[in-house]
Amino acid sequence: MTERRLTPEIIRRFTVDGEPWLSCDDCFARVDEYVDRMLADPDYDSPAMSAHLRGCGACAEEMATLLDLAARDAGVDPQPVLPRLGRWCQG
Amino acid sequence: MTILGPVSTGTSGTAAQAPTDWVRALSVPGPEKEAALFRLHELLVHAARRQVARMREQLRGTADADDIANQAADDAMVAILGKLHTFEGRSRFTTWAYKFAIMNAAVQVRRQAWRGCDVPLDDPDLIVERAPTPEAYAQGRDLATALATAIAATLTPHQRRIVVALLIDEVPVDVLAERLGTSRNAVYKTLHDARVALRADLRAAGYLPTPSESP
Repeated sequence: MTERRLTPEIIRRFTVDGEPWLSCDDCFARVDEYVDRMLADPDYDSPAMSAHLRGCGACAEEMATLLDLAARDAGVDPQPVLPRLGRWCQG
Repeated sequence: MTILGPVSTGTSGTAAQAPTDWVRALSVPGPEKEAALFRLHELLVHAARRQVARMREQLRGTADADDIANQAADDAMVAILGKLHTFEGRSRFTTWAYKFAIMNAAVQVRRQAWRGCDVPLDDPDLIVERAPTPEAYAQGRDLATALATAIAATLTPHQRRIVVALLIDEVPVDVLAERLGTSRNAVYKTLHDARVALRADLRAAGYLPTPSESP
């Protein structure tokens, strides 16, 4: 049996609150609308999207690039939503 | 006739213009469609390159980032043209299109990064990490011990292998799915269910706040 260390960062990953449930496919289907709406209104949120992006590092990693590109297209500063992005990308 | 508007992206260095109605431009045969296809491909390459650049540190020296980006853009182009009728205008067309190139590029980078690497799918012995102070060590040790106990007692062997591979060994979800012959959705669902079970155990033991106590 091999050994793995439970560091504080690993414990955080295990205990991420991913509720309400959303699949990776559903995240992909909605992420473009989510990004554009967030850029139009920094207070906009979707609990299921946020939960999925907290829990799925791969989807968060892809969303970060989409947000960057969409912000440039819209001529919008993504800064107001970046703090949320930082938390998701730790997923 | 499709009206061509100014380029609406940050991509510079080309004279190509973006159609105001992408779906129509890409649907009606003719010069406008050819121009729209060309412009769309440029945008997809740009998006894929951005994703590859974001993940560059995961790539080994032999990987050609431009090859990955171009292949991702080509694959995205095929997917987009096949799904054009499903675009509902809930976002900008370009935001909708970028996501295909971005996902393809990310998946390719992760596959490349893990090519030739074993994915350990074992049932490990979990060790509590030392913290810098005795107090932090005691608090962290209690939580880590409770978590290790919950992982051993509550999760199925399959769930344990999945969560350890994803969260400790940092195997990307799509790489793990490919190795297991399943889907990214299925792997993430296993992770999600495991987290729900672990959080319930830790909440019952007083290590996590109950929903009513959460901020």
